[in-house]
Amino acid sequence: MRKWLGPALSAPVTIWLLIAFAAPLVAVVFLSLHEYSDPFGPLIQSPSLQQFIDIASDSFYYRVVFETIWLSVAVTIVSALLGYPVAYWLARMPGKYRAFAFAIVLIPLLTNVVVRSLGIILLLSPEGLINIVTGWFGIPAVKTMLFNHGAVIVALTQVFMPFMVLALYDNLQNTSPRVHEAAQSLGASPAIRFLTVDLPLSLPGLKSGMIVVFLMSSTSYVSATMLGGKKVWTTGMLVLQEAMHNLNTSLAAALALVMTVTGLLFAVLATLALNRLMTWRYGGRSRPIALPRFVEPVVNVAGPIVSWLLFAASVVLLLLPLGLVFVQSFNDVELATAAGFRGFTLRWYHEVFVSGYYTDSFIVSVKVALAALAVSLIIAVPAAFALARFPFRGRSALLAFWLLPLTLPHVALGVGMLKLLQIYVAVPAFIGLVAIHVVVILPFAITLLTASVIGLDEAQEEAAASLGANAWKRFLLVIVPGLMPGLFATSIVGFLLSFDEVTVTSFLTTARLTTLPVRLYAEASFELRPTAHALSSVLILLTIVLLAVVGRFVRLDRLYAR
Amino acid sequence: MNIKRRSFNKLILGGAATLAAPYSFVRAQTPDPKPGDELVVGIWGGTQEKIVKQYIEPVLVDKYGCKISYVLGGTVERRARAYAERGRPSFDVLYLNIFESRQAVKDGVTQPATDAVENAQYLYPIARKGGYGVAINPCTIVYNKTKASAPITSWKDMWKPEWQGRIAWPNGLGAEGISALMMSTLSWFGDQTKMAPEGFDKVKELKPFAAIQGSQAQLFDMFDQDIADLSVEFGSFCEKYIEERNPDFALADPEEGKALAMNVACITEGTRNQKLAEEWVNLHLSPEVMQAYAKEIYYSPTVTNADIPADIQSKLIMPDQIDTLVDFDWDYINGNRNKWQSIYDREIAG
Repeated sequence: MRKWLGPALSAPVTIWLLIAFAAPLVAVVFLSLHEYSDPFGPLIQSPSLQQFIDIASDSFYYRVVFETIWLSVAVTIVSALLGYPVAYWLARMPGKYRAFAFAIVLIPLLTNVVVRSLGIILLLSPEGLINIVTGWFGIPAVKTMLFNHGAVIVALTQVFMPFMVLALYDNLQNTSPRVHEAAQSLGASPAIRFLTVDLPLSLPGLKSGMIVVFLMSSTSYVSATMLGGKKVWTTGMLVLQEAMHNLNTSLAAALALVMTVTGLLFAVLATLALNRLMTWRYGGRSRPIALPRFVEPVVNVAGPIVSWLLFAASVVLLLLPLGLVFVQSFNDVELATAAGFRGFTLRWYHEVFVSGYYTDSFIVSVKVALAALAVSLIIAVPAAFALARFPFRGRSALLAFWLLPLTLPHVALGVGMLKLLQIYVAVPAFIGLVAIHVVVILPFAITLLTASVIGLDEAQEEAAASLGANAWKRFLLVIVPGLMPGLFATSIVGFLLSFDEVTVTSFLTTARLTTLPVRLYAEASFELRPTAHALSSVLILLTIVLLAVVGRFVRLDRLYAR
Repeated sequence: MNIKRRSFNKLILGGAATLAAPYSFVRAQTPDPKPGDELVVGIWGGTQEKIVKQYIEPVLVDKYGCKISYVLGGTVERRARAYAERGRPSFDVLYLNIFESRQAVKDGVTQPATDAVENAQYLYPIARKGGYGVAINPCTIVYNKTKASAPITSWKDMWKPEWQGRIAWPNGLGAEGISALMMSTLSWFGDQTKMAPEGFDKVKELKPFAAIQGSQAQLFDMFDQDIADLSVEFGSFCEKYIEERNPDFALADPEEGKALAMNVACITEGTRNQKLAEEWVNLHLSPEVMQAYAKEIYYSPTVTNADIPADIQSKLIMPDQIDTLVDFDWDYINGNRNKWQSIYDREIAG
């Protein structure tokens, strides 16, 4: 019976992805095998490796692929360094304040990426905040901080670090207080305890966070385009350029597949490397970290200082661009600028609230996001249990398939969908949009929830069973409360992913189904007016109010107190 | 058994044809509009959307009791979707840029201009290519006049040492990018066929660029932050920028001419709302809408009968200036697009 549980629990996700994701993916594969691109040619042609030969024989593509890899690795490392102190702080926060503290992570996520990138420009530009502050100390201005790899790394870290924080938070908060008490009773200082107890126990979360941040960084192009000024190339930028601007879909599809394979390789390597550090999870012997005696005083002195510096840097990086958003939302200029305040006006808020331009789009976005999230949770929770508790043959291959949507650039997914439009299939627009949004959410939901399931204390379930609780009771009274942090994090991430998704959605938009990000993107692609900032400010305030309400009426700490 | 590639393709085509739901390229039907009909318009957001909603939509809705729905976004997504839906479009009218519109007519995605649109008789000849031009918005050099030793009067002035390292070159091969590359080539070599390699080699002399700019918003921030002092951009947006944000900048009127760029309303092949679409375009070409475009975003009219207030005429292209605009051979450009893009990526932007 148990040997069928794994495949049975993983079936819903697999079926969903086969229906909603495999079709555009197959279209992308077929497109990559075209000898040359023809926008009106048949999808299935005699296969040719010409596109891959072109990529393999051109050093330019090598350079872009490797540039993308190292850029993504750098973003992943910086996100981990900056994300740990924030996640640790959140995990230690008293329950009644925790929901509100989440604002630091959630508010940036609710702000349009274009607007956030403008904030980074304000930070790094020749007349930006960094140069203003250093100028007070007589340090000459550095005028070359923009349009280079460093600027792109800062921007992508600002965008993706929240995902790392949420992944780490889930694991860090799962650590039983008794483990901390045990470490303390053995003489470990907080810094030593973090290095020898919290850090090893948070490795599953680190693994999830690393995979998610790397893959999202490697497929991104908006921030890279804005902050790199086309001096920095990413594969995502190339795919977009070839697919959309040049209608060279075959080369774009081949590049997207190269990117997918690269992403999968990283996921496998990261998994193998971190699994070696978590031998206790796989039946091996634990190898506790033994720090040399002379290191301990250094760690005890430097640890708190370094962690506070990293924490401060994280908070500044996450929240500073939002200051610009607020300022810009009152700025009396026709087009948004990162170069100062020209006059006070409320007309952008008037446009948001009175003209009603955005109301319909906002409602569409919320409906799609809630529907996509509900479906994602319903099918991802069983999949997480299948991965964590019920090993079966082919599990690794299945996981690779489940993670594919994360590794395939969304723009390539859009190209595949467009090609499929040439074959007449009447799917209601809302259903189609929800289906593809579920595909976007699933990899995150599965990785976050699997880490959460791994962190569950099975001894509690055994204790409940020994006291007579049946499977349903154990699930509702033991497992669900234990999963709450993971469900909470997944819900937030899933909702925001759907709510903010613009790349694939812009291909599927119809006249009666325009989401808010597509609407904003439509304006930003032509002329970025401060209305976008006013709308972002409203969403930020809405988030703060919601979190305050959550913190007041829903004691999250009570839900999952162990 | 060996099978030839051509035979294989035929075999696959036959199989695919049986699987795919059939659709045919039908000649656009022209039934009279009736209450409840829905016209789907693909257009940019922002000011353009507001103008058409204010001036065009109410007239059509009052006249026919129809519904106007909008698909907002950039031309890139619109064009991609329209190509995927060729012959059975979800759009009735879509707005494209100058080279996209001409290519779309050649590819059978959109219809050429016809006299069924009454106001089309007033269109300048250059505005009848690729559909119905609704706004002329030429590309030219925008520069910081406080940093210039003399006003810029030629595209060749970009090569003056004072601009070295201060140019934000336009990204890619869009309207601005092609304008910059092509006008440079024409100025120095007098022949568009010299674009590769001569034109590219000449532009490479301008490197290092301060940056590559990918949008007006990005460019204007570069100007505000003193990152760059010169670029090539659509004149209308620059006029607004200079007027509202940064009077240090100026638009050049080069002796070789400004590059013609245009927004074009295109009626899709296979639309089921042919008459509504034609009426929509007709209203867009009316003097009222042309005037609103001119007043609000300094878009120059594409028709000869527009009544433009005297106080903004200096910021626009008026009828006597139309012939000074340089219209490129977009067929030639589109035929070389992939090759030039490859050179651009490696030698200009890289």
